Amino acid sequence: MTATVAAARQDAARRTRRRRHSGIVPPWWFAVPAVLVYAVVVLYPSIAGAGSAFTNWSGIGAARSFVGVDNFKQLVQDNQALGALRNTLLLTVAIVVVQNGLGLLLALGVHTGIKSKMLLRLVFFAPVVVSPVMVSFLWKYVYNPAPDAGLNAALGAVGLGGLRQDWLGNPSLALWSVAFTVIWQCAGYSMVIFLAGLEGVPAELHESAMVDGAGTIARFRHITWPLLAPAVTINVMLSTVGGLTLFTQIIAMTNGGPGYATDTLSTVLYKQAFVYGKFGYSTAVALVLAIFVAAVSFVQIGYLRSRETNA
Amino acid sequence: MALDRSVSRRRLLQFAGGAVAAGTLAACGGGGGSSSSGGTLKVVGVGDQEAGLRKLLDAYKTAHSGFDFNLSFAPADQVQTALRTQLGGGNAPDMHVVYPGNGSAMSMAQLAKAGLLADLSGQSWTQKIPSGFKGAFQSDGKTYIYSPGSSMLGAIYNKKAFATAGVQPPTTWSELLEVCDKLKKKGIVPIALGAQTPWVTQLIDYALVPGTVYAKTPDFDDKMAAGTASFADSGWADAMTKYLDLQKRGFFNDNPNGTTYEQATSMVATGKAAMAVQVSAVLSAFRAAATSPDDLSMFPFPSTDVVADNWIPAGVVVGIAVSAKSKKLDQAKSFLDYCGRQENLNTWAEAVSCVPLYGDAKVDPALTSFLPALKANKAVPFMDQRWPNAEVQPTHFAVVQELLGGKTSVQDALKKMDTAYKKGA
Repeated sequence: MTATVAAARQDAARRTRRRRHSGIVPPWWFAVPAVLVYAVVVLYPSIAGAGSAFTNWSGIGAARSFVGVDNFKQLVQDNQALGALRNTLLLTVAIVVVQNGLGLLLALGVHTGIKSKMLLRLVFFAPVVVSPVMVSFLWKYVYNPAPDAGLNAALGAVGLGGLRQDWLGNPSLALWSVAFTVIWQCAGYSMVIFLAGLEGVPAELHESAMVDGAGTIARFRHITWPLLAPAVTINVMLSTVGGLTLFTQIIAMTNGGPGYATDTLSTVLYKQAFVYGKFGYSTAVALVLAIFVAAVSFVQIGYLRSRETNA
Repeated sequence: MALDRSVSRRRLLQFAGGAVAAGTLAACGGGGGSSSSGGTLKVVGVGDQEAGLRKLLDAYKTAHSGFDFNLSFAPADQVQTALRTQLGGGNAPDMHVVYPGNGSAMSMAQLAKAGLLADLSGQSWTQKIPSGFKGAFQSDGKTYIYSPGSSMLGAIYNKKAFATAGVQPPTTWSELLEVCDKLKKKGIVPIALGAQTPWVTQLIDYALVPGTVYAKTPDFDDKMAAGTASFADSGWADAMTKYLDLQKRGFFNDNPNGTTYEQATSMVATGKAAMAVQVSAVLSAFRAAATSPDDLSMFPFPSTDVVADNWIPAGVVVGIAVSAKSKKLDQAKSFLDYCGRQENLNTWAEAVSCVPLYGDAKVDPALTSFLPALKANKAVPFMDQRWPNAEVQPTHFAVVQELLGGKTSVQDALKKMDTAYKKGA
């Protein structure tokens, strides 16, 4: 069976090579306008702004002076930032594991021959296209702590009143409540990427495996899962970066609270710049976050790509 | 080097913006207008200001044919993001909301230090600012903010709920506990607390601290500035313990950390809860949510059992300032000069339920019970107005939420505030 999968891979690689040599690969200068716009709007301001990380600028007015690496020294001793780093990592792990697991299950579920599969795909994908701010406000209603409102009311109605919680107000629970909202919204996105992967799995492989007597689990393990490797790479990368930079839902739902229970590195850098008036320090946090995200992404992509090759 | 580059970038962008604007005007065939007269004054306020600010802007427009304005509002919790971004980018509105004193990133002192506010010292009304309030209006002896007066902080209460429980507004801490107990027994939430909204978390401390700290140590702020006092070793500990005591006795609604300001407002307005510790500036919002506005009134929130020690918090209400870089500086200053006239000051003050900055105008009847303490010089400005940086106040918000969530102790909470305070200006 592994040999069949390898043959399918070689076939796909041959098709790609053929496309490249047929001259339909667009010339590089097609990308120049986009690269220029990106450089002017994103790259230059980012690089120029990074200089602020070495100053004590408040974000307004001209007064600022060079403070060297003081902001970075402060960062490693900042309990709020270290707590936020812990929250960020916990959120990222939860999002990467649960969102992608759920996305895969949904994709497998709707990748069947049932008549309503298009409708189901639409339903599961719908939250992705809604603005994260709107989703957050919607879920704030769902998480209303009153016993007769939202999720608590639903739990009461089905005889699970004992499970009622102060979903966003309990410091031990708030982080997971926000994580659930993000997962609810983004699982459809993972589903679509997995669906694209599933569409690329040749039906004849499954057919021949069935002839060989392979069951559903064996076929998933030896055919579907290895061929889904590129989709796994994309999903894991996107959800990791999304988790590490999570901001909108937290600001809209809890503002980092109660206390500091849901602060992430993104909310800390936002608060330092706009609430505490420490733009220089905020930029230092942003710089460290950017380097951290880049490093994690490189390590991840290296590992996942090697897994794709070995699969 | 980095600094020079960023300045150059700003100039480049300003130049580019100017070029685009010039191009647009040329394309439309229009000419540039005078920078100091005519045109529309861009004004950004916060919701609490709307009733007074809009009234005076409308009246001024009627009296001045060449004057027009574009008034918009930023939610209180977004002012620091929205307006600071505009200020930092050099495109601030001509007039905008500013918080009195120091202690927040959008406070008068912080913005004045950055050279972003126009000096109003030449206006005659500035001479009438009571000496005790000068710190809220002035930085380095110059006046940078207009505010119509001071807001009282106390308990907004539902008279019908109090009548149902057969209780009267309390005058001591022990009486307050008895009143809450009777209300609770009647099935009414004694105190609605919407602590999910960060700024609401501070209000009960602000109501208690005048009695537990300032009645005994009126120069507490000076001692803090001199480094000879701390939050942890002061009456702040007593105030926070009392705050938690109210929660332990079950006098708040369930889950205050999950309840918003709007939900708490609705609870009091509808009589589900009996009171909420709030500033008088939001009385109009509570009245708007009530079936009958007359159901609501206010009383000073007692903090000790010695009536004479129950000082009150009375803070200068959120004000308005002129951007130093406004191209309509003269128009904006003229408007604030107009706001400073006694009759106009009274109009704005009445609209936002505050005591006018000067003069003997009629005040909202709900505030009557605060006036004796005000006259007896037992009023303390809101605490953050003299805090040295913008970090102490948000730290206070966070530690109160942690206390309510059972995640910290009073001493640890106050130590965090001391640490933030010591970071200086």
